[in-house]
Amino acid sequence: MQADLTLLGFGPEGWGHVLLRAGLMTLAVSVCAFALGLVLGTLVAWARIAGGRMTRALAEGYTVVLRGVPDLLVIYLFYFGGRQVVTTIGTALGFEGPFDISGFVAGMLAIGLISGASQSEVLRGAYQAIPRGTIEAGRVVGMTRWTLFRRVIAPQAMTTAIPGMGNQWQSVIKESALVSVTGLVETMRQVSVAAGSTQEHFLFYAAGAGIYLAITTLSDILFRIAEKRSLRGHVQGGV
Amino acid sequence: MDIPFLRDILGQLLVGLPLTLNLAVLSLLGGGGLALILNLLRLSRVGSVFASAYVFVFRGTPLLIQIFMIYYGLASFGFVRQSVLWPFLREPYWCGLLALVLNDAAYTSEILRGGLRAVPKGAVEAGRVSGMTRATVLRRVILPIAARQALPAYGNEVISMLKATALVSTITLMEVTGIARAEVSSTYRAVEIFLCAAAIYLALSLVITRAIGWLERWLSPYNFGKTQ
Amino acid sequence: MTRTAIKIESLRKRFGANEVLRGIDLEARDGDVISLIGASGSGKSTLLRCIPMLEVPDAGTVTVGEDSITADGRLGRVQQDTARRMRRHLGFVFQNFNLWPHRTVLQNVIEAPLHVQKRPRAEAVDEAMALLEKVGLTEKRDAWPVHLSGGQQQRVAIARALAQHPRAILFDEPTSALDPELVGEVLKVIRSLADEGRTMIIVTHEMGFARDVSSRTVFLHQGLVEEDGTPEQVFGNPASDRCRAFIGSHFTRNR
Repeated sequence: MQADLTLLGFGPEGWGHVLLRAGLMTLAVSVCAFALGLVLGTLVAWARIAGGRMTRALAEGYTVVLRGVPDLLVIYLFYFGGRQVVTTIGTALGFEGPFDISGFVAGMLAIGLISGASQSEVLRGAYQAIPRGTIEAGRVVGMTRWTLFRRVIAPQAMTTAIPGMGNQWQSVIKESALVSVTGLVETMRQVSVAAGSTQEHFLFYAAGAGIYLAITTLSDILFRIAEKRSLRGHVQGGV
Repeated sequence: MDIPFLRDILGQLLVGLPLTLNLAVLSLLGGGGLALILNLLRLSRVGSVFASAYVFVFRGTPLLIQIFMIYYGLASFGFVRQSVLWPFLREPYWCGLLALVLNDAAYTSEILRGGLRAVPKGAVEAGRVSGMTRATVLRRVILPIAARQALPAYGNEVISMLKATALVSTITLMEVTGIARAEVSSTYRAVEIFLCAAAIYLALSLVITRAIGWLERWLSPYNFGKTQ
Repeated sequence: MTRTAIKIESLRKRFGANEVLRGIDLEARDGDVISLIGASGSGKSTLLRCIPMLEVPDAGTVTVGEDSITADGRLGRVQQDTARRMRRHLGFVFQNFNLWPHRTVLQNVIEAPLHVQKRPRAEAVDEAMALLEKVGLTEKRDAWPVHLSGGQQQRVAIARALAQHPRAILFDEPTSALDPELVGEVLKVIRSLADEGRTMIIVTHEMGFARDVSSRTVFLHQGLVEEDGTPEQVFGNPASDRCRAFIGSHFTRNR
């Protein structure tokens, strides 16, 4: 069996263009989901650190639930469940069907929600790793809570958080492949379609794997650079 | 709240539970064994390169693509179809299990590596200097300490594998998620059915978390404030 | 005539380009308490660690009882077996205690008797309790190392070494990692062992203790034995100028 590598190329028979577009779609979904996760993660981490009993319980509940349920199920829930909800509301309001919900939106919401739970753990750990003394020093010179956060807490937390965030970003990239079940044409879906259409399964799944490896490797390099730069001025080695 | 429907659906979904558990347990066992082998490989230079490459590929790509690659990709090779493994490799169950095992091995081998790195050199020296053979030191000092260090991270991996079993529903296996998806296709009541399925997984992961916590407390009571 | 417990002949050891031991000859007879002193880098710890082959010498011979190894940087299979046999007759106390963190105090003490010397459990436990009493830690038998002070951990380590019924006990700077107020309790235990007539080699910076407890003092300088004699000789009237200078700068206690 000869694998026809021109199928991967950018010529008339080649799927190169569409694969590239699909790769960009993967990045788009991932970036949006990660951003949503960052916002949620920060809020939840804050709730668990500084919240009252009720808030803390809710935040913990959110984390436990979303880390205990398969990502695929959450995506199904948002996509099919979302469609069901929109349909119910739409018909109740008197609109005509069929109602649909964007795979992109459903996927982004689902993954964002899941990522938020994991990111809150990373951020919480990073906060707890900050030496209490530096916060006290900031308070004692009269910093406001916002300034304290901006100038003392956030920069130090970032250094500890970067590796964990790097892992989270990698997770989000890989989870984006699951959004293919909604029909969204990101890398996984495109690769499946190409494989089915040309019957060159191995070739295209390998290509898909290659695309993901490229994205994750590049991300890894970028995060390492970020970590090195944030460590400027820190004492290396154990505490 | 349509209680009869929910009860009915729960019953339907639980039919898939044995398969979910079967896949989770076997993939952890197989993955754990393979992870041990991968760590042994790291003792040689060539083996170390192979192990690193293996971990890189299986941790850097989505599990879904690994599953599809094994189920669809391997089948497209003539020599695979004619091999003695074909009766297995054409079944979704074995393909799914293989993918889960290979995936788990990558993560578990790194967890094991971290645990081994955390064993204090002094404890190992104390073992050697009291006359223990290399095998005894491994058995009585290195592995017990490494296991205790790795337990929290491994607990997370166990739950990850439980959730990963849901992905084999994409290659027609009828475990809990697969059944849920099928039911939604016929009844269109997505929210209730998927929430029900989610509840099942949640219950399982809570049980697992409890069990791991209990195991941690049993193995290392000194980490939890007990002095005697 | 007392027998030779440990004999070291022409021992050499290098780390990279640095030759740490340049030909050491040393003999410890049964009942000797030898203190090994010298500046940092003089090779004292390396010498001690060579005896149970924790470091493998590049040349020379180490004899413990009836077993003997002539090393050349690496240990062959037969030599590894001999080394293990030698270790079973040696007790070793580390500077950093090195208790097994996943075992309780009692479990630490019975580990080698049970799993190396294969003695029956009841016998090992009885003996371990007696040893813990000797070092003053019976009530800590079920405690975890992480909850003990440094002095307590070191005393457990000594009990652990004694549990092997060693021919000789080797101490590698046993009090260097301890807070000053905890040093005394460990020295007290070591002193009582010396009074019992145990054979010991102690690498230490505690000059007063070395002078009071040992029957012989060896001063090492840059990998060679500079001075080897009774404490009175070495501390009071050393032949070597370097030894005299070392003692002068390290020993501030009035005699």
